Amino acid sequence: MEKQLSKKTLNKSFWLWFYGNLTCFSQEHMQTFGYLSAMLPICEELYAGEPDKLARSMKTYTAFFNTEPQIGAIVVGVTAGLEQARANGEPVDDETINGLRAGLMGPLAGIGDSLIVGTVIPILLGIALGLASGGSIIGPLFYVVTWNLFALLGMRFIYFKGYQLGGKAVEILVGEKAQAIRESIQIVGAMVIGAVAASWINVSTAYKMLDANGEVIVDLNNSLNSVYPKLLTAVTVVICWWLMSKRKISPTKVMGILVVVAFVGVLIGFFNPGLQY
Amino acid sequence: MEISWLQAALLGLFACLSSMPGLGGTTFGNYTLGRPLVAGMVVGAILGDLRTGIMVGAAMQLVYIALVTPGGTVSADVRAVSYIGIPLAMVALKAYGLDPAASDGVSLATGFGVLVGTVGTVLFYLTATMNLLWQGIGWNAIEKGNYKQIYRVNMLYPWVSHILCSFIPALIMCRLGAPAVDAIKMYLPMDGLAMKTIFTVGSLLPAVGVAILLKQICLKATDFIPFFFGFTLAASMGLNLVSATVIAAMFAFIKYEIKTAKLATKFAGGATDTDEEEDI
Repeated sequence: MEKQLSKKTLNKSFWLWFYGNLTCFSQEHMQTFGYLSAMLPICEELYAGEPDKLARSMKTYTAFFNTEPQIGAIVVGVTAGLEQARANGEPVDDETINGLRAGLMGPLAGIGDSLIVGTVIPILLGIALGLASGGSIIGPLFYVVTWNLFALLGMRFIYFKGYQLGGKAVEILVGEKAQAIRESIQIVGAMVIGAVAASWINVSTAYKMLDANGEVIVDLNNSLNSVYPKLLTAVTVVICWWLMSKRKISPTKVMGILVVVAFVGVLIGFFNPGLQY
Repeated sequence: MEISWLQAALLGLFACLSSMPGLGGTTFGNYTLGRPLVAGMVVGAILGDLRTGIMVGAAMQLVYIALVTPGGTVSADVRAVSYIGIPLAMVALKAYGLDPAASDGVSLATGFGVLVGTVGTVLFYLTATMNLLWQGIGWNAIEKGNYKQIYRVNMLYPWVSHILCSFIPALIMCRLGAPAVDAIKMYLPMDGLAMKTIFTVGSLLPAVGVAILLKQICLKATDFIPFFFGFTLAASMGLNLVSATVIAAMFAFIKYEIKTAKLATKFAGGATDTDEEEDI
């Protein structure tokens, strides 16, 4: 008789991945234990009473795994489907499964990092920041609800698509239509981040040129803002971008550079937060 | 403002849940509870000042708006930023008598939070290293066929790592932070060079957060156009973020329509080609 994974087992496997993909993270094995725990209910159901086959299949998943864990749900779904095929005697071996896993890890990490962490989360956080002005609780609540719904439903969808369609399911994420959607969402991301930068970052200079009588001739901050509002903020962002992407300086070091810039700027009077008790 | 042992312990618990690799899971732990904006709400509720918490969290969120951890390399640790940095920033604001809504309050909070977050990176490496112990137990159990142990290795034993590397640091730093902040205030008056520098750094740091994100989406000069379009909408035209998002969505919609139209012509073209070949 054909072996068929029950809905209950698949759900259990999905939730184990959803919750446990990174709970026992180490630099050496990364998501491997999350993967093993998500595959355990699958293998136990397929090979009940066959300890040899159970051992063989669990051994397959001891191979290293690491990707963007949320979009990686699709890989767990695909291997659940492959394992079921293997249990039914189809020609699926360790190499098929681990070749597929290794082949998908890199590209999916790239898509996941740029689309989810680099675009969707910043867009939702950007809107939430707007809603949180004045300390309103609507901002954080908006993010908690929209992000978790999006992530949970999205992960469930790709996990079960992966299980049903196998390797072909990856087309949903990397196909031409998916690419068109991705590029469109990235436009929203870039624009929202621009608006976030302009609304929330405030770099200004205190430099004023005075004449002999102490009258202000040039108020640098006002002059710059009349050229392009928030010019100094825009320039600071672009310089940070240039340091990181063209000079390959790490974010932590760029922060260190800014500390030096701030110190020198305060010394020569370019920056002055204008504090008093 | 004092933080009691009970409040500090609650903050410690949230630190365990929210970190990368946290025990609240990736989606709800790291990407929800670990985001400074959400953490601001949680910390505000624990310390009894929701409004200040959310405002401090919002200010700090900007620095970490795109905190990507590719391949497990981190530049800041969210548990430290969110559940040590935010409470201490709130204490500092109260100590200096600053309003979290004013720009100097925002700068102070950001400066404080980022400092703590950068120092907290060490917590991430300690947790990840300690998890190797549990994984060692796991490999042995798999050898012996004792598979149930995998669940405990993956979801139960890491609590020990977190009690040592998340709970205790947050508990102690939050509890003892308030007197420390008072001491700092004694030695560093607000009109001195050191505080002026901290405030200025606080106003510059969010630029790094935005630049980290731009590094991923802007590879060539033209990629900056949508960014500056959004920037101009807010800076020059005074639109708020929700309105700017709606306009952005319209542009994305147009781009999508053009892309799919191109795809359609490509496929249609392909089909005609094969037809012709069949005719021949």
